[in-house]
Amino acid sequence: MTENGKLGQMKPMRGNAWVFRGVLDVDWEICGYRTYQGLQEKGMYTAEEIGKYCMVNLDPDFPKKVRKGDFIVGEFMGFGHDHDHACLSILGAGVAAVLCDTSAPCFFRNSIERGLPVVELVGILDAVKQGDELEVDLENGRLSNISSGVELKFEPMPPFIIKKLAAGGMLPLLKAEVDAGRIPKRIK
Amino acid sequence: MGKTITEKILAKAAGRGEVSPGDYIEVGSRCPTPMGNAGSLRGGVEFCAEWKVGVFDPKLIRIIDGHLGATASHSAARSRMRARKWAKAVGIPQENIYSLGRSGIENMFSAERAWALPGEVYLQAVNGHSSGSGALGAFATTLSYGRGEYFMTGKTWMRVPRSIKIVVNGDLPAGTCARDVFEHFLSRIGPTGAGGGALEWTGPVINDLSMGERFSLCSLALFTGAWTAIINPDQKTLDYVRARTNENFEPQVSDPDAHYVKVFELDVSRLAPQVVPPPKRHLVKSIKELEGTAIDRGFIGSDAGSWIEHLRMAARILKGKKIHPRVVLNITPGTTNILRQALDEGLIGAFIDAECVVPIPNEGMEWGGNTPLSADEVCIASGQTNYPGRMGSEEAQIYLANPMTVAASCLEGQITDPRKYL
Repeated sequence: MTENGKLGQMKPMRGNAWVFRGVLDVDWEICGYRTYQGLQEKGMYTAEEIGKYCMVNLDPDFPKKVRKGDFIVGEFMGFGHDHDHACLSILGAGVAAVLCDTSAPCFFRNSIERGLPVVELVGILDAVKQGDELEVDLENGRLSNISSGVELKFEPMPPFIIKKLAAGGMLPLLKAEVDAGRIPKRIK
Repeated sequence: MGKTITEKILAKAAGRGEVSPGDYIEVGSRCPTPMGNAGSLRGGVEFCAEWKVGVFDPKLIRIIDGHLGATASHSAARSRMRARKWAKAVGIPQENIYSLGRSGIENMFSAERAWALPGEVYLQAVNGHSSGSGALGAFATTLSYGRGEYFMTGKTWMRVPRSIKIVVNGDLPAGTCARDVFEHFLSRIGPTGAGGGALEWTGPVINDLSMGERFSLCSLALFTGAWTAIINPDQKTLDYVRARTNENFEPQVSDPDAHYVKVFELDVSRLAPQVVPPPKRHLVKSIKELEGTAIDRGFIGSDAGSWIEHLRMAARILKGKKIHPRVVLNITPGTTNILRQALDEGLIGAFIDAECVVPIPNEGMEWGGNTPLSADEVCIASGQTNYPGRMGSEEAQIYLANPMTVAASCLEGQITDPRKYL
């Protein structure tokens, strides 16, 4: 999933900003709960499929307009339930990271586990406009707005999270740990 | 400086002298971890069997059949079968599998067995309302997508939350309950006011709440943007826990000089029943603003509104009456124990006589899993949330209210202030 080479490293990411204001519920604004249930019933619950419904309740054309590597810049991201289909929908739409004023704790955790970086930066909506070109460096905690020249700092992500994100999330990393014999095989 | 109950529990679980908000820590738990049916077999859990890794401690994993109920759905039947096959493959003991007839909503089923011990970290596989068990003085949350790693290793990571203290003063008026306190608080702070935090409910009103009402209050935490909620254990908590488990535990309480990022004082003496109209969970209204809105459906259930206290509230209003002929009112007790108690107290008889539907304990209607709403139906519910599609069709509308308001509204076929029936 990741396009960064070495395990445990993430190059700065570059893309354009898609700004969404207000409260973004995982089950409605980000991606409808019923849509997710419907895809699951049809056996079509994949990143690619659910990515087609990302943010459509706010902007029906978002999945067609967003380009791979762009950023969602949101106000309050991931309100409501701990449903992680919202994270998969964002990844499936090709979004490289979420930058937001605040994120709900379950959304934050689920995103990291899914391999989607979430950066919390109070005041980001004053510093970024729709379409701005941004560069985000997770390891050094730096956001550069290339369009405006503004630079913002945030707390760098700890190494274990960088490692998880660079691996493409919890599952690929867990598989690597199992393959390396660092997690015991308890079933004969 | 002193520490909050949340910081003390997390420091102990992480094996550190102390922790502060924003710290990243790794924790385990000695409490059982409940999971549901096949819906829980994602987030890496499915690979416990496939990769032959198993789980870190099969005795601590519990499967609770609480989401589906006795529906006719074939996919529900397949879901159960998949979960049982997985359980066999990873060696979950048979007594840890709570099937229909001996189950209920997992947050409530586990809370009424005090699986979350005071002073401990308590983790559920999935379910944002796991915070309900914070009423036992535990740091209670869900693993959610990170559950696979926890199941395989017995460890998970956390970012220590900021503590937010709420002091609830006054006397809770007739026609209101713990849920109205929550909605009032939500309307005060807004949906991001507690972003990333742990709510600590304190004050005389909280001390007077029964355990069921405390669980209900704590289960709602995530709608303020908070991660979880907690109540410092008092004698009521300790009696409740000791009546249900022989496990040893070491309760924690907040230090008097603990630091909170925010402290809110609420006086609820003049609180009216609160209603949350569709579709935004955080836009709370007082009943006066919505009285007279026509409804077709009612739901008294979910971990926010189906403890025995809530069934008593509903029965007090419904007893000896019949609901409006247009209305279908689903009253689902949260667990088998609660159903049994409701039968003994004559509540179920009152519901049947009032022409309500009483399914076996489960969470189904809360998420549209049984008796779903059709397009254009309007429902008033004591459930958790109201975004489009939550209980069925995206074209249905959900008003959220306390069980008394739901019962009174179903009698009249329109949103009704319950105080006239008390």
